[in-house]
Amino acid sequence: MPSSNWRHWNLAVHRDLGFLSIGLTLLYALSGIAVNHAADWNPNYRIERVAAQVQPLPPGVVAPAAIGQILNQLGETRSPDNVFQPDPENLWLYLDKRMIRVHLPSGKVEQDVATRRPFWYPLNFLHLNHPKNSWTWIADLYAGALALLALTGLLMLPQRSRQKRSLLLVAAGLLIPLLFLGIYY
Amino acid sequence: MKPICPLLLLIFLSCFPLPDSAMAKTLGAGLSLNQPTSLSEILGNPEPYIGKKIQLQGVIVDVCEKRGCWLYISGDRPFEKIRFKVLDGEIVIPLEARGKPGTVEGVLEKFVLSRDEVIARRRHHAEERGETFDPASVTSGETIYQLRGLGAEIDGI
Repeated sequence: MPSSNWRHWNLAVHRDLGFLSIGLTLLYALSGIAVNHAADWNPNYRIERVAAQVQPLPPGVVAPAAIGQILNQLGETRSPDNVFQPDPENLWLYLDKRMIRVHLPSGKVEQDVATRRPFWYPLNFLHLNHPKNSWTWIADLYAGALALLALTGLLMLPQRSRQKRSLLLVAAGLLIPLLFLGIYY
Repeated sequence: MKPICPLLLLIFLSCFPLPDSAMAKTLGAGLSLNQPTSLSEILGNPEPYIGKKIQLQGVIVDVCEKRGCWLYISGDRPFEKIRFKVLDGEIVIPLEARGKPGTVEGVLEKFVLSRDEVIARRRHHAEERGETFDPASVTSGETIYQLRGLGAEIDGI
């Protein structure tokens, strides 16, 4: 029958798109939660900060020999990759993945080592479309698939007994964004 | 067993990029100008450069930890640096860029900030870094210059 044939295809599209979208949906969902809370944590990097103390130095341009002494006091024998002074009182040293901030007059040192979060960084990398190029097309296709999932889902509304409940759920899903637009927009 | 055709092997190997540390990473639109300008020249007389695209070379001395939405590049004189700000998501600057030599291109912008605006800006930066900030340390407004970031090349990341 034409009607059952149409329903058959609708169900098939919905089912197959659903299967196809599982991986991307989990990726976007997990990363979405992670980056939504970027104010509370760093979703991409784990940054370990270690405080230390070295001999204070007078403010001014720091000579290379003094930089070597500072690093010696921190137990480091290598030379820094780069050095920068943002002002006469502060010295920033870069060594491998470490950034070492030295406040010269007090001798206070803060070292931080940033390492990529092995699970979250790649997820966020894709979610926020850092690769650009062809990933943009994949993301667009996925968005299209989600729209199709919604529409084919709508066409799968059950007949008779559970129809009212289903319509209420659809209406709630539409009203939630409208409600928040009314409050915040 | 047939030996692997050298051409096929070459094609296969060419699919794998060189290690990142061997290349400069291009961000955003990359570089389009042929000549860098020194930061001391720009900050010494900024007005002619405002609204113009400029290229700077230096060391990437700090990067936005959470979103990779800005970096500071050092100048040619002691204590000088300038902020290179990109639109969130347009370009994402990896934190590994800290301490690496780089070249950036962007449009010079001038901002005249009131004391309250300076406080808000520094508070935001302190929050980003998890540092404490004392508003009393700001006694007046200030004029700042920054680059609206268009592209960059950073070595060794």
